Amino acid sequence: MGAGIGAALAEVVPGAVSAPSHAPALGPAEWQRASGRLGEYLAAMGVRNPQEVERLGEAVRTRLESRLAATPLEDPVESAIEETHALLDLWLAAELGLEGEASTLCAARAAVLGGGLPGWSARWAGLSERSLAPEIRALCIAAVPEPAPLTMEPNPIDLFLHRLARRLAGGFHRLLARSAIPESATPKSATRGHP
Amino acid sequence: MTASGRGGVGRHLHRPIYFSLVFLTTLGMMSLLSVAIQDGGTTPLELLLLILYAILMLWINASFWTAAIGFVRLLRLPDMPEQPRDQTTAPFPAVPAEEAGVPFKTALVMPVYNEDPERVFAGLRAIWGSLVETGRHQGFEIFILSDTRDPDIWVQEEMHWRRWVDELGQPARLFYRNRVENTARKSGNLADFCRGWGGRYRYMIVLDADSIMTGATLVEMVRRMESDRRLALIQVPPVPVNRHSLFARMLQFAGSLYGRMFAAGLAYWQQDTGNFWGHNAIIRVRPFADHCGLPKLPGREPFGGDILSHDFVEAALLARSGWKVRLADDLGGSYEEIPPTLIDYAKRDRRWCQGNLQHARLVLARGFKTLSRIHFAMGVMSYLASPLWLLFLVATGIEAYLRSLQAPVYFFGNNILPVWPESYTVEMMTVLLVTLAMLFLPKVLALILLAVKPRMGRLFGGVPRAALSVVIESLFSVLLAPVLMLFQSKFVAAILLRTAVGWPPQQRGDHQTGFAEALGAHGFHTLIAVVAGLLSYHYVPSFFWWFTPVLAGLALSIPVSMITSRTSLGMLARRAGLFLTPEESDEPPVLRQLERNLAAPSPLLCGKTAGDDLWLRAVVDPCAYALHASLLPDEIPSRRRRHYLEGLIFQLQDEGTGSLSPAEKRALLSHRDGLYELHTLLWAGAEPPGARASHAGADGSA
Repeated sequence: MGAGIGAALAEVVPGAVSAPSHAPALGPAEWQRASGRLGEYLAAMGVRNPQEVERLGEAVRTRLESRLAATPLEDPVESAIEETHALLDLWLAAELGLEGEASTLCAARAAVLGGGLPGWSARWAGLSERSLAPEIRALCIAAVPEPAPLTMEPNPIDLFLHRLARRLAGGFHRLLARSAIPESATPKSATRGHP
Repeated sequence: MTASGRGGVGRHLHRPIYFSLVFLTTLGMMSLLSVAIQDGGTTPLELLLLILYAILMLWINASFWTAAIGFVRLLRLPDMPEQPRDQTTAPFPAVPAEEAGVPFKTALVMPVYNEDPERVFAGLRAIWGSLVETGRHQGFEIFILSDTRDPDIWVQEEMHWRRWVDELGQPARLFYRNRVENTARKSGNLADFCRGWGGRYRYMIVLDADSIMTGATLVEMVRRMESDRRLALIQVPPVPVNRHSLFARMLQFAGSLYGRMFAAGLAYWQQDTGNFWGHNAIIRVRPFADHCGLPKLPGREPFGGDILSHDFVEAALLARSGWKVRLADDLGGSYEEIPPTLIDYAKRDRRWCQGNLQHARLVLARGFKTLSRIHFAMGVMSYLASPLWLLFLVATGIEAYLRSLQAPVYFFGNNILPVWPESYTVEMMTVLLVTLAMLFLPKVLALILLAVKPRMGRLFGGVPRAALSVVIESLFSVLLAPVLMLFQSKFVAAILLRTAVGWPPQQRGDHQTGFAEALGAHGFHTLIAVVAGLLSYHYVPSFFWWFTPVLAGLALSIPVSMITSRTSLGMLARRAGLFLTPEESDEPPVLRQLERNLAAPSPLLCGKTAGDDLWLRAVVDPCAYALHASLLPDEIPSRRRRHYLEGLIFQLQDEGTGSLSPAEKRALLSHRDGLYELHTLLWAGAEPPGARASHAGADGSA
């Protein structure tokens, strides 16, 4: 028997798969509806071994009951899917020793669900002792390398017509300024360039 | 001296020789025309004709002398080798002390925008395979710069990337990113790459979605960059390949046969102030980042805003900063694919036209080198020539009509002997013949080249077949030229009237033009042919017969467009040995590999096929969902964004997937939180989403 979902998670994340003693039980009809869809969801994830499905189903049920103790379930099916998801993330975080690294967690999820890692679901369900951390890490592939930024600012391009317009406007402005100042008021130094 | 004409004191004479030839020939042709039309002074219309003729002849002569010089240069080179030259054994040159021993990387960057992922990855896999064969692939990495907006294609790209990454193993050499906002289109995409990861690479080799390059060429490009520290860009001319329609095969034949002459001629006079054609080029990353950040041009579109044809401007900016930009006309192993039909060709022109016309504002901008200004002007002329030809034809028709109204006067004053009006038929005929010679002589020169180079001749199907191909291609080009003239004139007019161009993806694969499509595209051309033909036949019958080649092209545009789009005719011509190119006669291994990759595409990750509604799979299927979520940026959407996403989720639940636009689907796929919410909601629905059956290969119970 492995240390996956049961012991390992309980060790790492207290309360991950155990319901409080006062937790109300999930109604049979509700659980039947949720477990049917849960089976389909697990199959879509690639978990088809009945033993694994059963173990994971139990873990999800426990988490649902724990949740029910805190707040009524709006939709047991939706909650079951959410809890399956949470359970997978908790297992991956525990397996890889992650703490709040959302991107790494996402990459790990893609690694196991991508189908390239045999036996991951057995480990997740707690039916395998062998740690898969090295294999999962190897499959966590970054889509882009570490940033190596360069500065790339827009280079000015001085367009001819704009330059011409600026010069014309400048010349016109100077002309206006010159005609506005009477000749007698213009100091000689300003026009001749010497003191 | 290398094949591209570098080295030696003579290199300083290249440009004076070339431009003198162009200007002197144009002056000569103008004097011929002025003699022919200036009968008793110059009317305003005749002056207009002279000016138009001068501009158009300058353009034609520039092409002619480029080809002629290229012909001479190729004549002096040895015949094509039996096998492609293996340049990969050449050692990299010594590098300066400060960079010695510093390992560097080269990125093969491929910007993509809604392209067919099957083709994109098949091409990249072929290129990579060729690179691995050189044994020098350790210094290269592939970077797919996706600007794809189509949600299905986006998801498909991710699946292809992941599948290939798994196959390649460690160390990671294949990277993929999809830009959140595709600001400034392709130039913005490249700039985003430089800003994010440019420091990781010394060089980047820019590929188009349909580019193919051999490993040997890639390695040689890097070797050349390493051998000259002031070299910032090498453009390797791409040869058109891989299309099978008659239209495309004729274009491929022309591109391969005449293209190498033009490339050799261009390299002769461009020297170190060459141009960038947007892809199949190696760029030194740091100077590119330093000098090629593009500003927005002042004013509104179509002439203001983002610079659309960024490549010319980037080359000019590099040259302005003192860096060398070269055309490697002697390097092979560089290929591209072309539009398969006349209509697709015109659509591509529509996109390019606005960008090239925008360069008119840059011709006189401060600081650019003279040759860069000439590149800009030539880019503008490649589209402006069409309306100028149209204007020239109309002006010629009017001039002919006005002359037909003049009654000849034989007797002046009291003279009893008649004075016969002077005839300028000889001069006019000379003008026409010289113009035609300038247009068609490059084709003859290319055939001479084939006759002199036996190996090259064989690769083009032998001289007789190549000659027949040139004749047929010339006939078709005569028919197609007026159609393209009208297309391009319309585009120029639309742009001048400030109608902006969209950014539609290209339809690259072979497909055929149906009657409805041809009628829609060419109906107006046919109508113009009929009206212009009737008018000229009625009012200026003598002009009508001169006008028939133009009229025939327009009148036959519908059938010609349909016929030339046929792949069966293209393949028939190939079996008959017509329009053969060296790439068809002796197919390079990299192109064969591309064909194999396309014939047997790798299955997508998560067991999906390309035809599926892939964006929905990325929401529903845990495998595709997990992959997609792992590639999204780690960011929390704003409250406003969250409300928008919730609205879309409700819309999807209430009205189904068909109610969502591609942009809305993309929005739903763009944030981890929204994606997660949608994923759980759909799995909690009344009916389970149909993802179970398709989950192949993800069985973790083994």
